[in-house]
Amino acid sequence: MNEKNSDIFSRIESYYSDYGQRAKELKNEGKKIIGYVCSFIPLEIITAAGCVPFRMRGDIHEPITKGNINLETIACPFYRSCFDLSVKGRYDFLDGSIVAHACDSMARTYAVWKYTLDLPYSHFVNLPHTLSKSSMEFFNEELNTFRKSLGGFAGKEISDDDLAEAIGLYNENRDKVKALYELRKPDPPIISGTELTKILTVGASLPVAEANQLFDEVLEELGKRKESPLKKVRRIMIDGACVDNIELVKLIEDLGGNVVIDTLCNGTRDNLPHTDIGGDPVSALADRYLNKINCPRTYRENKEQDLHKDLESRFGDIGFYAREFKADGAILYVYKYCDPFGFEVPARKAYFDSIKLPLLYLEDEYSAGTIGQLKTRIQAFLEMLG
Amino acid sequence: MAEEKKKHKKRRTATEAAASIGPMVKEFISGTLRAKEEGRKVAFTFIVCLYDEILRAMDILPVWTENFAGICGAKRDAERFLERSESLGLSRSLCTYALCGIGFDQWREELGEMPPDAPWGGQVRPDMMLSSGQILCDPRNKWYQASQLYMPDVPVYNIDLPYPLYEDDVEFTDVRDYYVKHIIEELRGLVAFLEKQTGTKMDYDRLSETVDLGERTWNLIWETYDLRRAVPTPMGTGDAMNTMVPMCFMMGTQEAYDFFLGLNKELKEKVARKEGVVEDEKYRLLWGGGLPSWFALSDFNYFNSKGAVFPAETTYRMIESMYQIYMPDTNDPIERLAWRWFGYWVFWHNKARKRPGSHPDVEWLIQYIEDYKIDGIVMHEAFSCRTWHLGLIWQLNQLAKIYKPIPVLVLGKDGKKEKTNRELPSLVLESDIIDITTYSEVDTRNRIDAFIETLESVAKSKVH
Amino acid sequence: MAGCVIGIDIGSASSKGVVFCDQKILGSYVIPSGGNYKLTADKVREELLSRTGLSLRDIVYTVATGYSAKAVTFADDLRTDISCHSKGAFYCFPSARTVVDVGDLHSKVFRIDDKGGQLKFLLSGKCAGGSARVLKVIARVLQLKVEELGALSLKSRKRVDFNTGCAVFAESEAVGRIAEGVAKEDLLAGIHRALAAQLYSLAERVGIKEDFALVGGGARDAGLIKAMEEITNLDIFVPAEPHLTAALGAAIIAEEISNA
Repeated sequence: MNEKNSDIFSRIESYYSDYGQRAKELKNEGKKIIGYVCSFIPLEIITAAGCVPFRMRGDIHEPITKGNINLETIACPFYRSCFDLSVKGRYDFLDGSIVAHACDSMARTYAVWKYTLDLPYSHFVNLPHTLSKSSMEFFNEELNTFRKSLGGFAGKEISDDDLAEAIGLYNENRDKVKALYELRKPDPPIISGTELTKILTVGASLPVAEANQLFDEVLEELGKRKESPLKKVRRIMIDGACVDNIELVKLIEDLGGNVVIDTLCNGTRDNLPHTDIGGDPVSALADRYLNKINCPRTYRENKEQDLHKDLESRFGDIGFYAREFKADGAILYVYKYCDPFGFEVPARKAYFDSIKLPLLYLEDEYSAGTIGQLKTRIQAFLEMLG
Repeated sequence: MAEEKKKHKKRRTATEAAASIGPMVKEFISGTLRAKEEGRKVAFTFIVCLYDEILRAMDILPVWTENFAGICGAKRDAERFLERSESLGLSRSLCTYALCGIGFDQWREELGEMPPDAPWGGQVRPDMMLSSGQILCDPRNKWYQASQLYMPDVPVYNIDLPYPLYEDDVEFTDVRDYYVKHIIEELRGLVAFLEKQTGTKMDYDRLSETVDLGERTWNLIWETYDLRRAVPTPMGTGDAMNTMVPMCFMMGTQEAYDFFLGLNKELKEKVARKEGVVEDEKYRLLWGGGLPSWFALSDFNYFNSKGAVFPAETTYRMIESMYQIYMPDTNDPIERLAWRWFGYWVFWHNKARKRPGSHPDVEWLIQYIEDYKIDGIVMHEAFSCRTWHLGLIWQLNQLAKIYKPIPVLVLGKDGKKEKTNRELPSLVLESDIIDITTYSEVDTRNRIDAFIETLESVAKSKVH
Repeated sequence: MAGCVIGIDIGSASSKGVVFCDQKILGSYVIPSGGNYKLTADKVREELLSRTGLSLRDIVYTVATGYSAKAVTFADDLRTDISCHSKGAFYCFPSARTVVDVGDLHSKVFRIDDKGGQLKFLLSGKCAGGSARVLKVIARVLQLKVEELGALSLKSRKRVDFNTGCAVFAESEAVGRIAEGVAKEDLLAGIHRALAAQLYSLAERVGIKEDFALVGGGARDAGLIKAMEEITNLDIFVPAEPHLTAALGAAIIAEEISNA
């Protein structure tokens, strides 16, 4: 198994541990780097403006200190970590940041973020809560406002052709992520959850064309794996928000489970939905971001007053992926203070029940300090799965 | 009323109007129970969601679910409902109003009748639930959806009510048209839903009258609260946490208008007699953010006992009279509601743009500090509510950075006294809206004592 | 001599008293608070008098502070421990502008002006996280005396990542770490670091202005002081008897009042 030492994996390791090194280089070359935290940021528009989108990460090993000056401890612990790192200068290379109306922790602290970091550019993308026809039209306008605003900052009018080109690149990117996910289908999978988390995390720190190239190289290298380096053990799904540190996935795998599929922001939620091509690019983006990204922050109407149909319409993708990837059990992993996911825990539990997938629900803070507590519970869950 | 008194001693209010609120709230709750029996439609609702007048015009009775949770909190009887929610898998770190409400509803549905000893007869089973998360409250976006798990036959209608946040490069006038258009469409969608639920068409003449009444009430409230600028102030935030009831739960009704007419008269008389909340008014404080701990409103009386009064608050407050809010020439009541909404939320944008480093939220504080001759700011961080409590610390910090109204002498580098300006002192209280387990009276009062000592110390060093 | 004053601080864990005459400390006394605060207060005054050779008549004014200040029935006046810590710290270090009190139940941070008047303050949360309580818990787990923790922590070569500041979770986490074979000193250094991070973060919330002083019972711990210096990158000023700061401040306020 010489691929462990292969060039591509050591590059990923280096990009992962020194996160943002490529963005720093690009910054020195004069590129404008635009930071974001959430799946609802329309990356195609940033790329079309000639800027580089950069997904900011938290750090579960770094205690939150300076971030507390301006941000309450009742905010989402993941978002607080991202903010704390930014205040401490870890993302000093950013030229701007974009925040979306994803959740209260983001929307209600937009000013805190904007004024404290005081970056040359910032913008708030106002995402509707509902999927009504009027909401779609509104979001269309809102994306055009963002397009104009960012174009003003980048000194470039963003044309429909620019957008179409960026959409093409991102769709390509999503195809490659899909191909990586395909490698998780065999039992045991060709690729571990820890490896894939690293690859996707690194991909989100690069310009999309470079990420595409990197994924190609990874796919080529993985194509050489004739047999899986993993053991045939229980296949685990993770459901939740953004899990951008490998520790949780690694913990599950160290305890003897294979993480084979997820419905996480930095996993299938963000990386798989395509943007339709051929029509108006902004409408297509509005549809992708508002309609296709399935996050609990968006209200999906229960049209027929039928519990099972409602659960299916809201959580059907969980069942779909669980079947496709043959999960034996799932972990619902929710951060403390997360209103969008928090209020859905009973409904999600009911859904997992209905598809007969054993579930472990974990509420956690964003801190390495809780790993000991998680360990016991995950271990017991794996033992229960047998 | 005898039974509500036996549990808790009634809190002393400064105004008679505030003292009359208790029975009024109790009447709402029994009113919804009666209405249900009589077959009238009742809807679960949230305050400040723009649909008050629409519901009133259609004779749909709102059940303010946040209010019911607040009552459970004020009666110190929320814990059993919170625990029930927790046992359903809902984290205690979520909005405790919602947890209390969901816990209660699930219990009622399970029993098929009201839970034992339900506060004030309990919260009625609704015919429909009307959500709106706006740009500020995820729980409102999710709460009724979560409740629906326990009453799947009750329809939820969720409306999107956005407003633009403050940006450097985008003015609200740039985006106003499509925001207002969307809000109008959302309200029309709501009307269509309500028509379907009730089987009756909206009477738009009646809606116009109700919106008129709502706007007149709005102006009257603004005018009435403005009387609190007087020194000594005739009414404090403690009372305003009672008088928010007709403001937030009864908009568009004659009762609300009449209530504020009464309060207006009472305050004018008090001002004429120079009758203040306290006899010897020493410090004028601004309640600068956060919902109160409903079970500890007597903390306001504790402040009063130290000579501190609250002539103003930014919580439950009309920003300005309707005359100051931009309204195009339209007779369509739905359009008027939409413009009112938009104007309310962007009200401070223009002012903020004129002061370097300012922001609409900070500008609002400055305006009240000046209008009400404020000596210090108090905020409350309720741990379970991100909606009203995120950003408060930053607002205080930003305010301190750009606004220093207190002249003092300090020792300069050369050992000489120099005149400089200092920011207003501030106090952040920490607890919750209804979760009493987060509250410590000793601790809270210790903080208040220390804050009063700070105010004394600042007053002493102030140069005139 | 205008007469002497007493400052008395009835804390949740220990009670302290200071006799102050003409801007100088004449004597002090510390005992555990026990369950009967009133008796404790009487005992503190008795001891103070006997140690300084003064009689009740010599005491012109008494100010009480602390968690159970109200139990000091003989006090002429009460002040919050926040005001008292500010005064006490300012007396020891007139250049101090940010003061952190590491108490048993809470930690507190205050910003003071150039006269020792307080400008701003913040308390740690309602639970004992971020307070000196965690040190007591760990001392019990390690079967050490609280006073021994500091010196041992300074010997650490390989500090462990200890993230929780919660006194309850700290216990289970510490037990787990010991089971993994972590050395006591490395564990302690990790705990000191975690506590220091919490105190630093609390202080950052009021905005740190130099000089920075650490007071209260927890400030007797050399391991904590070192961790504070590392994390803040500042010189930390600690009085010789940091646990007496509030009692001292109460005495200073008593003298100010009696001179007024």
